[in-house]
Amino acid sequence: MSSNAIIFAIVFLAAMALFAWSSFRRFRLVALGRPEDRFSDLLKRLGGMLVYAFAQRRVLSRPFGLNHFVLFWCFLILFLANTEFLFGGLFPDYVSLSRLPDGAYHTLAFIFDVVSALALLAVVVAFIRRAAFASPHIGGLSRDAVTILSLVAILMIAFFGLHGGKIALGSEPAAYMPVSGFVAGAFFSGASAGSLAGYINFFWWLHAIVLLGFLNYLPYSKHMHILTAVPNCFFRNLSRVKILPREEFKKGNTFGVGQVNEFTWKGLFDSYSCTECGRCSDACPATFTGKPLDPRLVIHDIKMNLLKNGPLIARKKTPVLPLIGDDKEGSIAEEVLWECTTCGACVEVCPVFIEHFPRIIDMRRYLVEMHAKFPEELLTLFDNMEQRSNPWGIAPAERVKWAVDIEVKPFEADKTEYLFFVGCAGAFDARTRRTTVALAQILEASGVSWGILGRDELCCGDSLRRLGNEFVFDNMARENIKLFADRGIKKVITQCPHCYSTLKNDYRQYGAELEVIHHSELIAHLIQEGRLKLDGAGDLGRVVFHDSCYLGRHNMIYEAPRKVITSATGQEPTEMARHHAKSFCCGAGGGRMWMEEPIGKHINVARVEEALEKDPETICVCCPYCMIMFEDGLKDKGVTEKVKVLDLAEVAARALK
Amino acid sequence: MTEEKRVKKPRGVARLIPGKCIACGARCQSACPKDAIEMNEKGEPIILVEKCISCRKCLKVCPADALEIYFTPEERKILAEMEARAKAAAAEAEKMSAEEAALLAKLKEYRGVWVFVEQIAGEPAEVSWELLGVGADLARTLGVELCSVVIGDKVEGLCYESFAYGATKSYLIDDPVFHYYRTEPYYKAICYLVEKYKPEIMLMGATGLGRDLAGAVATKLQTGLTADCTGLAIGENRNLLQTRPAFGGNIMATILTERTRPQMATVRPHVMPMPKKDPSRRGEIVRESVPIREDDIAVKVLEVIDERKAGEVDVAAAEVIVSGGRGMCAKENFSILQELADELGGVVGCSRGAVEAGWMPAERQVGQTGKTVRPKLYIACGISGAIQHLVGMQQSDIIVAINRDRHAPIFEVANYGIVGDVLEVVPALTNRIRELRAKEGTGGHRG
Amino acid sequence: MLVVACVKQVPDTTQVEVDPTTGTLKREGVPFIMNPFDIHALEESLRLKDRYGLRAVVVSMGPPSTEVTLRKALALGADEAVLLSDRAFGGADTLATSLVLAEAIRRLDEREEVAVVVCGRQTIDGDTAQVGPGIATRLGYSQLTLVDRIDEVDLRARKVRARRKVGGWHETVEAPLPAMIAVVREINRPRYPTVPRRLMAEEATIALWNNEVMKLDENKIGLKGSATQVRRIFSPERAKGEILGDGLSNPEEAAHLLIGKLIEKDILYL
Ligand SMILES: Cc1cc2nc3c(=O)[nH]c(=O)nc-3n(C[C@H](O)[C@@H](O)[C@@H](O)COP(=O)(O)OP(=O)(O)OC[C@H]3O[C@@H](n4cnc5c(N)ncnc54)[C@H](O)[C@@H]3O)c2cc1C
Ligand code: SF4
Ligand code: SF4
Ligand code: SF4
Ligand code: SF4
Repeated sequence: MSSNAIIFAIVFLAAMALFAWSSFRRFRLVALGRPEDRFSDLLKRLGGMLVYAFAQRRVLSRPFGLNHFVLFWCFLILFLANTEFLFGGLFPDYVSLSRLPDGAYHTLAFIFDVVSALALLAVVVAFIRRAAFASPHIGGLSRDAVTILSLVAILMIAFFGLHGGKIALGSEPAAYMPVSGFVAGAFFSGASAGSLAGYINFFWWLHAIVLLGFLNYLPYSKHMHILTAVPNCFFRNLSRVKILPREEFKKGNTFGVGQVNEFTWKGLFDSYSCTECGRCSDACPATFTGKPLDPRLVIHDIKMNLLKNGPLIARKKTPVLPLIGDDKEGSIAEEVLWECTTCGACVEVCPVFIEHFPRIIDMRRYLVEMHAKFPEELLTLFDNMEQRSNPWGIAPAERVKWAVDIEVKPFEADKTEYLFFVGCAGAFDARTRRTTVALAQILEASGVSWGILGRDELCCGDSLRRLGNEFVFDNMARENIKLFADRGIKKVITQCPHCYSTLKNDYRQYGAELEVIHHSELIAHLIQEGRLKLDGAGDLGRVVFHDSCYLGRHNMIYEAPRKVITSATGQEPTEMARHHAKSFCCGAGGGRMWMEEPIGKHINVARVEEALEKDPETICVCCPYCMIMFEDGLKDKGVTEKVKVLDLAEVAARALK
Repeated sequence: MTEEKRVKKPRGVARLIPGKCIACGARCQSACPKDAIEMNEKGEPIILVEKCISCRKCLKVCPADALEIYFTPEERKILAEMEARAKAAAAEAEKMSAEEAALLAKLKEYRGVWVFVEQIAGEPAEVSWELLGVGADLARTLGVELCSVVIGDKVEGLCYESFAYGATKSYLIDDPVFHYYRTEPYYKAICYLVEKYKPEIMLMGATGLGRDLAGAVATKLQTGLTADCTGLAIGENRNLLQTRPAFGGNIMATILTERTRPQMATVRPHVMPMPKKDPSRRGEIVRESVPIREDDIAVKVLEVIDERKAGEVDVAAAEVIVSGGRGMCAKENFSILQELADELGGVVGCSRGAVEAGWMPAERQVGQTGKTVRPKLYIACGISGAIQHLVGMQQSDIIVAINRDRHAPIFEVANYGIVGDVLEVVPALTNRIRELRAKEGTGGHRG
Repeated sequence: MLVVACVKQVPDTTQVEVDPTTGTLKREGVPFIMNPFDIHALEESLRLKDRYGLRAVVVSMGPPSTEVTLRKALALGADEAVLLSDRAFGGADTLATSLVLAEAIRRLDEREEVAVVVCGRQTIDGDTAQVGPGIATRLGYSQLTLVDRIDEVDLRARKVRARRKVGGWHETVEAPLPAMIAVVREINRPRYPTVPRRLMAEEATIALWNNEVMKLDENKIGLKGSATQVRRIFSPERAKGEILGDGLSNPEEAAHLLIGKLIEKDILYL
C-alpha cells in the first residue's frame, strides 16, 4: 500500500465512521416512533418503488421534473463510478475499472464520462431554475441548495480534471471519454508529465474530499432524501384513502399526538424524506390563500422537533420544544392545525409519498381529546353532533321535511334494495333538499328499489373524525353500524362525498362491509344500463365541473360525474384550470365548514374565481358542502344572476324524460 | 276458570294513551299508592297491571290527560249493566273528609288580591300597573279588595300612583334599609305583611327583581308560586287559574295552588294590558314597619351602573334584533336598520354575508359560527336564511322576514314575512312606528 | 370547602314538537340533556374550583337516568356527583324540589363546609327560575340571582363579590358566604370534556341518595309536597308563516300590517 493510500484509508475510514455515526444518530430517533405495519404486500411496495422512486413518476409530472430525473439517474450511475473510485483509492493495486475486459471497461468509461457531463448540465439548469424561476415555496437559492449544487458541480469538475489529466498523460484512452478527452485537449495539452501528475493528484484528492464531504453533509441537509426517498416510496401507504387508525378508549391511554415520538415511525421517517420541493405547498388551498398553514413546513417542523427533542426523549428526559404551540421552527402553531381542509392535495403531489394531513389530524386529536382545545365555533358543532347527531342541532323530526311533496318509503329489510342515506345537509339545508328531491326523482324514474331511514338517520360523523374528535366519532360510528345491521342494510346510496367516504372507508375499520355508492356513480350506471333516459338539459349553458376532494382525490371517482353531465347536456363539461387529481378544494372539508376563516383570502372565493375564468353559466358540483361554498362564493362575487350552481342530480333530473 | 267465578265489578287497569305523556316529572308514579308505576327512560310511565288497583290517582294528577282506565270488551259489558246501581252510590262519595274541611277553613282566613309594586330608585316598573289591571278583575270576581304593596325608601308617592291604577288600599313600608333592592329585607318585609293581613292572591312582575323576590317569599311562606303567567282567572273554590307556557313555549299549562295561601304568581311585563290611569282615585294607606336594621343585612350593593347608556352592544342578550344580510346591498344601508332597531329598543345584528362583505363587525354575526340568539323579536332583512344562519336565530319568539325572493328559505321559519325590497320596507316600518307614536304622544320603548 | 352546582336533566325542548291536530307533544326520540343554563352553572362552579381550590360537587334530583347527566358533569371536571332519586321525589314543583336540594346541600355541608351553591338561571322545561331562590331561602344563604360575573370569593373574610344583571342595570354586590348564586348564560363559555376525563367519569361512582338516606317528611316532597298542581295542558296557537300584504308593489301597506301584528302580539309598545 502506498503512503497515499494509507493517508486516504485513514481519511476514508474517518469519513465513513463519521457518516455512520451521523446516520445512526438520526435514524435511531425514528425508532422512537410508535409501531406501524408497513411491510405488507411486499410486491406491490417494490412495484411502487420502481415506478415512483426509480421512474420518478410524480417528479416527472411537473416542470423541471426531467432535470431531477436526470440528476437522479446520474447519481445512481455515478454511484458505481464513485464506489470504484473510493475502493480504487484504498486498494489502488487491486481495484480499477481498467482491470475489466476492454469492452466493459470502455463502455463504462464512456457512460461515466457522458453521465458526469449530463449531471453537470443538470446542476447548471438547477442553478438557473432556482435563481430565475423559483416557485414561491422552494425558497430559491437557499444556502442548502447552493452548497449541495456546488458540491455536485465541484465533484463533476474534479472528475473531468482527473480524467482529463489521465488522458493527457496517456494513462487512459481518450477515445472512450469524449468529455474528459475534450478537457485534456483544452486544458492539459501543453503540460509536462510532472505537472500533469500534480494536477491528477490534486483533482483526485479534490474528488475524494468533496465526495466524502458530500456524504457527511447529507444527513444534515434536506438532501437526506437521497438516502430516505427510495425507502419512503417503498414504505408508502398503499391504501388510497388516508384514514387514521382507530383509537382505543381505555383508561390510562393518551390520545392523538402531542409529542413527536407519539407519531408512528413512518410519520417520523416521512419528515426525513422531504425534498423540500414545495409541491405540497403549491397545491395546498390554505397556503395558496395566504394562511399560515404550509404542509411542507408542518413536515419540516416535525423533523426539526424530532432532531431537537428526540435525543432527550431517548434519554427519558423532558422535551424542550413543544410540538404544538410555538411559532418557532420545530413547533407548529395551533391555528395552523385548524386550517387544513384535509383535501389531500399535498399527499397527492408529494413525490416521496409523505402524508401531511394525517399528521395534522393526529395533532388535532391531541388538542381535542387531551386538552379540549379548539376554535370556539366548534363547541356548538361538537355538542350538536353528540346530542342531536347533526351538525346544526336541528330536531330529528325535521329529517323528513324534504319529502313533503313526494312520496317516500321507509327502508324495509329484504324488501328494499338500497338505503338512500340522505345526509344531514340533504335533510336540513333548504338548498341541498332540492338535490335530495332531484335524486329521489331519478331513483323513481329508473325504478330503483330504495327507501330512507327518515328521522332515525344519524350523522355519519365525517366532520368529527377530520377534526380529531375521535371519541365522539367512535360512538357515532358504532351507533350507525348497529343501526345498519339492525335494519338489514347492505347497499347505501349517498349524495354527499363525505358520507360516502365515511361509510365506505372509515366504517370499514369497524368491520362494516357496506356497498356504498355515490349518486354520481349510480346515475352514470343507470344511464349506461339504459334504465335512465336523459333528454338534454339544454338550458344550462356552459357547464364547468368541480371535483370534490372526497370524491376525486380520496376515492378516485372522476369520470362518472363527467359522463352524467355529458349525457344530460349533450356536451362534455368544461374543465377548470385545476381538475381531476389536481382539483382545488372548495374550502369546506376537514371540518372547515364549521369554522370561520379569518386569515387570508377565502378558499371558496379563490375556487369560484377559477371557475369564473371559464365563463360558465352553470357550475356543477357533487357535494352539499361544495354547493354551499360555491353559492356563497358567487354571492361574494355578486354574480348570482349570471351563474348558478347545480348538483349533478339536479342536472340529471332536468334532463329526465 | 274465569267462567266459574261470580260476577264481580271489573276494575280495569290504568293505561297510558300513546303519545300524550309529556314526561312531566313522574307525577303519576308519585301519586300511585301501590307502586304500580315504573318510569321508562323517556320519562313515561309503565303500568304494572298486576299491581294496579285502578284507584285513578294517577289519572287525576296527570296534567296531560295521558292516562285512562282500560277495560276489556267483556268487562265493559258487565260494567254497563252495573252502571245503574253504581249511580246511587256515587252521591255518597261526595262526602267531605274532616281533614279537607279543616283545610278549607284555614284557606278562608285569606282574603284580598295584592300586587307588589316594583321600583328601582323610586322609579316604578310598569308591569306593576299592568298587574293592578288584571288584579282588579280578579278582586271584582272574588268580591274582595285590590291592594298594592309598596316597599322602598321615600316611595309614598307610589301608593297614590297605585290608587290611580285601581288599588283601593296600599300597604307601605318606607325605610332607608329598602333603598337598594336586596332579597333578604324585602322578602322578610313581605312575609311580615302577608302573615299579618293574609291575602289570598299575590301578584308580582316576572322581572329580574320580581322573580328573585317571589321565589324567596313563596319558599318562606311554603306556598305555591306560578311563574310567567300569561293568563289569570278565578275558577271553582275561589282558586286562581294560572296559565303559563312551559317546555320552551311548546305547551301551555293551567296551574292551581289549591291547598296553600296566598296563591302567588308572576307575570311578564307587557303581557297584561295597561289599565287606564285615573289620578282622581283615592285609597287608604296602611303604614307598617319591620324591625330590620341596616346592620342586620350583610348583603351590600357596592355599585349600580346603567348599561343602557354605556352603548355596549351584546346581540346574544338583546330582546329585539334587526338583522341585515347580503340583501342590504351596501354598508350605508345598515343605518336604516339601526333606525328601526332604535325605535324597537333593539340592536342590529347580521348574517355572515354582511361580515364577509365588510359591512358589519364579526361580533354582530348570528349563526352557526357566530352568536346564538333568542330574542323576543328577530327581524331578518335581506337574509336568505341559509341553514348556517337559521340555527343561530330559530329559537326567537317571533321571526319577521323581509326579502325580495318569495322562495328564500328564511320564510320557512318566519312568523311574518314581507316579500319586498328591504330598502323600501324597513324605512316604511320605522316611519309607521314614529307616526303612531306621534299620534299617541308617547316616547317609545321602555324596558 | 365545597362549591355545589345544581343541575337538572331536561327533555331537549328545542326538539319537542306539538302535533298540530291532536295538540299533544311529540317526544319520540327527544333526548334528555343537561339543562343548558345549568351547563353554565356547572362551568362557573368548576372555575371557582380552579380559582380557589374548592371541591366541586354536583347534585341533581331526578329519575335514575339522570346518572347520564351527572357523568357528563364529572367528565367536565366535577369531583363528586350526588343523585337524588326516589319515587317519592317525583312530580315535585319548585317548593318540593328546593326542599330536597336544600336538604342534600345541608347533608353535604355537615361533611364538608359549603361555600357557594351555583344554580342555573332557569330550566328549559319548567322554566320558573324559582328553585335557586328556594334553596337560598331554605338554607339561609345569601341569594344572588342573575349573576353575570363573580368578581371574587374571599374564603377568609367569608365574602363574595359579584355582578348582577338586572334589566338594563348592572349591580355589583357583596354578600357573606355561604351564598346561592344563580347565573345567566352570558357568564361564561362552558368547557368541553377531555377524553381521559370522560373515561374516568364512565367508571366513577355516583352517590345515590333516596329518601331512605334523606329521611324527609313524605308530605313535604314530591307530588304531595307540591303547593302547585298542574291541571290542564294544551298547546298554544301559533302564527307560522304568514305573508303580509304585497311588499313589492305596496311596501307601506305591508309595513302597516306588520306593525299592527307586532302591537297585537305585545312585541311593540307605543
Ligand atoms: C307544565 C309545567 C308547568 C310547571 N309550572 C310550575 C310553576 O308554575 N311553579 C312551580 O313551582 N312548579 C312548576 N312546575 C314544576 C317545575 O317545573 C318542576 O319541575 C320543578 O321541580 C323545577 O322547577 P324548574 O324546572 O322550573 O327549575 P328552575 O327554578 O327554573 O331552575 C333553576 C335552577 O335550579 C336548579 N334545579 C332545578 N331543578 C333541579 C333539579 N331537579 N335538580 C338539581 N337542580 C335543579 C338548576 O340549577 C336550575 O337551573 C311545572 C311543571 C310542568 C310540567
Ligand atoms: S390536506 Fe389540503 S389543506 Fe390540508 S395541508 Fe394538505 S393540501 Fe393543505
Ligand atoms: S412534503 Fe413532499 S411535496 Fe412537500 S416539499 Fe416535501 S417532498 Fe415536496
Ligand atoms: S290507577 Fe292507581 S294503582 Fe293503578 S297505576 Fe294509577 S295510581 Fe297506581
Ligand atoms: S303524569 Fe302524565 S304526563 Fe306525567 S309522566 Fe305520568 S303520564 Fe306522563
